[in-house]
Amino acid sequence: MKSLRSGKGIYIAGAALLVAIAAAISVALSGGHAGFAALLSEPFFKPIKSAMTSLVATLERTYNYIYRYDEAEAENARLRARIAELEQEYREYTEISDENERLRALLGFAERHEDLVMEPATVISWTASNFSSSFTISKGSSNGVELYDPVVNENGYLVGQVTEVTGTSSVVTTIADTTMSVGAVIYETDETGVASGDFELFRDRNLKLSYISGDSNVIIGNTVVTSGSGGVYPAGLVIGTISGIGVSSSGLDPYAVVEPSADLTGLAHAYVITDFAVSE
Amino acid sequence: MTKRKNVTLIKALILAPYILLLYILQSTVFTHITLLGVKPLLLPLAAAGMALFLGSYGGGLFGLFAGILMDLACNQLTVEFTLLLTLTGLLIGLLSDTVLVQGFPSFLVCAAMQLLICSAFQVLAPVILRGAPVALTVGIAVDQCLYTLVFTLPIYYISRFLSRVI
Repeated sequence: MKSLRSGKGIYIAGAALLVAIAAAISVALSGGHAGFAALLSEPFFKPIKSAMTSLVATLERTYNYIYRYDEAEAENARLRARIAELEQEYREYTEISDENERLRALLGFAERHEDLVMEPATVISWTASNFSSSFTISKGSSNGVELYDPVVNENGYLVGQVTEVTGTSSVVTTIADTTMSVGAVIYETDETGVASGDFELFRDRNLKLSYISGDSNVIIGNTVVTSGSGGVYPAGLVIGTISGIGVSSSGLDPYAVVEPSADLTGLAHAYVITDFAVSE
Repeated sequence: MTKRKNVTLIKALILAPYILLLYILQSTVFTHITLLGVKPLLLPLAAAGMALFLGSYGGGLFGLFAGILMDLACNQLTVEFTLLLTLTGLLIGLLSDTVLVQGFPSFLVCAAMQLLICSAFQVLAPVILRGAPVALTVGIAVDQCLYTLVFTLPIYYISRFLSRVI
């Protein structure tokens, strides 16, 4: 009470207001490309976050090694089954040349995307917010990263898009964020739609594939890839697989639930596509 | 340097590692340790604790820095936490200076109030700007409050200990 009477409280509130004004100015000066938080965090907190991320990763690995042997064993069994399944699929694909050609286009990421120029980056930290999905990477404009550059993982699965850039770091908003939407094509049926983040599916980091037709042939397990329309994302990047099909609350609009192929909660390395050939 | 300035410097030197540790936990460790898909809000909780024990001036100042760090941890363009935690720090500190007893029940009430205010503002943006369903966003907010309240006991004792040390 005493401190408020002496005016100190007003000073503190004033300081908070100054920070808010500084933030607004910094955002305005950067044309909305880099926030106050990103600019401030760059010199001061990036090294600390990087060190802590490495430490957490090491601790997680140790923990997993000691306590999760059973889980690893089960996962190993699952992966073996998956390999066997893939081998079977491969044999089937070689029998049908047309199908084989299409699968080559889908799976042969590097082969198909020779036009892509990629910049590898380390994930420094993930957002602490429960209402958005984004992370900070170790590369910025000095590495050729630009606003709205697409970001993929090591397998070429779509992760998100650069939404803030500073000199040596950038913020990537993932495709599961509710502000994001991507033009998409269902690989098996060639049907188009829009895959976007949705609050209903946000906790599981799944996406909603909207604008699909009522008589759609979509089935669970179908692969969803980028359409390339709009020129924001290269065509053919794998977004995920269909894990559910539903109808909107109005009962009129069918949609599909897409489970992203990339890990959108604990990714450690990302690849920024700094250049690609636009195919409209 | 006067004795008063020395005391202020010592307080800052004691609280700085605490707030930095919380920031590191918030932005690295607890972004991976989720419950029902949500993460806890440690810095707002700690700001409530320090405001209860330090009063309006200390609470407001701690809230200001906790808010800046929370905005950094959230990767966002806005600075809602900077403003919110400063104001709630001043308010909780004022209540502590006047009507509240500095005990765990008071802390629990202040922490709940702090989290509700922060969550309400977090819900507003997606609901108003993006037309997000209220029930779903409120659900996320409620879960994040409940998850954060798990940490009330350790944060309470740490806040009490630090306030006695300084």
